[in-house]
Amino acid sequence: MKAGPVARANRWMRQRLNVTIGVIPLWLVGMFVTVAWIAPFVWTISTSLKPASQIMTADIEWLPREVTFDSYVKVFEFHPILRWLLNSVIVAGTTTTLCVLFSMMAGYAFTRLHFPGRDVFFAITLGSIMIPAQIALIPLYMAFLKLGFMNSYPSMIAPGVVSVVSVYIFRQFFMSLPGELEDAAFIDGLGRMGVFWRIAVPLARAPLVASAILAFTGNWNGYLWPLLMAFEEKMKTLAVGIAVFAPGYGGHSQLESFGPSMAAVTILSMPMLIAYLFLQRYFVEGMTSGSIKG
Amino acid sequence: MTSMVKQRWTVSGVRNRLRRMTWRGQRIDWSGYILVAPFLTLFVLFNAIALLFGLYLSCNEWEVVGRPEWVGLANFREILADDLAREAFLNTFRYVLVIAPGVTIVAFVLALFVHQQWPGHIVSRAAFFSPVVCAPTAVGLIWVWMLDTQFGLINQYLGRLGIPPVPWLTSPDWSWLGVSLMSVWWDTGFSFVLFLAALQDVPAELREAAQVDGATRWQVVWNIILPLLRPVTSMVITLQVIATLRIFSQISVMTQGGPAGSSMSAIMYLYSYGLSRYRFGYASAVAVLLLLATLLITLVNRWLVKEKV
Repeated sequence: MKAGPVARANRWMRQRLNVTIGVIPLWLVGMFVTVAWIAPFVWTISTSLKPASQIMTADIEWLPREVTFDSYVKVFEFHPILRWLLNSVIVAGTTTTLCVLFSMMAGYAFTRLHFPGRDVFFAITLGSIMIPAQIALIPLYMAFLKLGFMNSYPSMIAPGVVSVVSVYIFRQFFMSLPGELEDAAFIDGLGRMGVFWRIAVPLARAPLVASAILAFTGNWNGYLWPLLMAFEEKMKTLAVGIAVFAPGYGGHSQLESFGPSMAAVTILSMPMLIAYLFLQRYFVEGMTSGSIKG
Repeated sequence: MTSMVKQRWTVSGVRNRLRRMTWRGQRIDWSGYILVAPFLTLFVLFNAIALLFGLYLSCNEWEVVGRPEWVGLANFREILADDLAREAFLNTFRYVLVIAPGVTIVAFVLALFVHQQWPGHIVSRAAFFSPVVCAPTAVGLIWVWMLDTQFGLINQYLGRLGIPPVPWLTSPDWSWLGVSLMSVWWDTGFSFVLFLAALQDVPAELREAAQVDGATRWQVVWNIILPLLRPVTSMVITLQVIATLRIFSQISVMTQGGPAGSSMSAIMYLYSYGLSRYRFGYASAVAVLLLLATLLITLVNRWLVKEKV
């Protein structure tokens, strides 16, 4: 039997590309939306590399006519970007480390260890997910204000260390871990703590990565809490600092024609976006693993 | 007898007794308390006590100096009488009504597209989730530029279609929509991956059987896939509603609640008229009202979902 050219093309496409000719319009629409979805990023980077005079143009110019780092130079010159970057690294890094460590310990104890009060503690912990954090935020803000902890790293770090979702992630993992591994270690004479550190922790790589990504992203990008805690310029995190380019902050985005603003956005977002591109699966897993609770 | 009494009060005796203590028929792991302690201490301090204190504060007038003064429900009465506060809450509900369905529908359609596994779907999948990893300040600033009335990309393209420039962020009639656009772009990726994961759990045999029976692509989506996705859809909507009720960062960056309070949200109001003015009791009362609204909506949503199933 001889098939027509269309039918043959169709068969080849179905086999090779998992598509038929009929779906090409749909596919084109989908790819168009994909391009449109990342267009704001492309536009941001392109704007940050343009000379100031070529940013606000009558016609759309997707690519810089000439690439210049003027906007970046301006950002570094007029704002303590390196200091903000350092603050972000310190705050997000420390918060993540402590959060993962404490959540891992609590998640293990809530699952594997047997002690009075355990189930009550866990129920209260999990129940608190329903309550918006903003209500606790005001007393915390007051406390730190009155105790004179404003503009300090501990005040920016401490509340972020508590993550019920992280505890939940570790608890789910330890529940699925077969008990025989630990039993064997007990027989070999390890105590409870020994079993935790030497057997359970090394096995918990997946929940560790998930909760670390969740905590780091949240704190690197965090806005409201560091905004409240750091009003001194040199203590701001990068995510808070770049808000000086916002129109409401008496920002000069219009006058500076958005170049420095987009340069600052690029400096803040690039580390996360690059990490995301390489660790996509972990990012998706980490950031959504908390939503299982529904 | 004597040996037991003696054993009770020596260090090793106490340790032995502790070691032998049981709870529900099993030895107690005392190390559990040590492992739980760091998390639980911070949790009690920063979440539990702070929450209760917030509730207490909402019935007080308390500024930076001085002692708290019990004022009963005066804060709440003041909020209800304040036009701007009312506008902030109404705006918040409007954000919920626009952003939550917007995110859900767009996320579902994008997930359906990527799920077909056509060429390039890996790029699409990466692209759709990417805004989620960015900071609200970054995304906010990007959209301030995108939505710029004169030179913004959106208005430039609309201009090519013959549409006059829209004052997205600078007009009281449009600012809520400008903020909503940014929020949909920022939040959709999250719901998108939840839908995508759920789609992968739909048995392929079901779709194939329907197609053999002559169902069209749309019938398969409408009659087979959508009903199966009801649990994840309800989860996506609930999460997005709760998140949108707390909308703050993007507004703070893009409009500061303006012009004339037109894009003000409840948390933005709490921040500008409570915290920034050191009116902690008043700010707490706003938070309590928002908490009540959140709980109410969550309960209604639960009830609606249960009714349907």
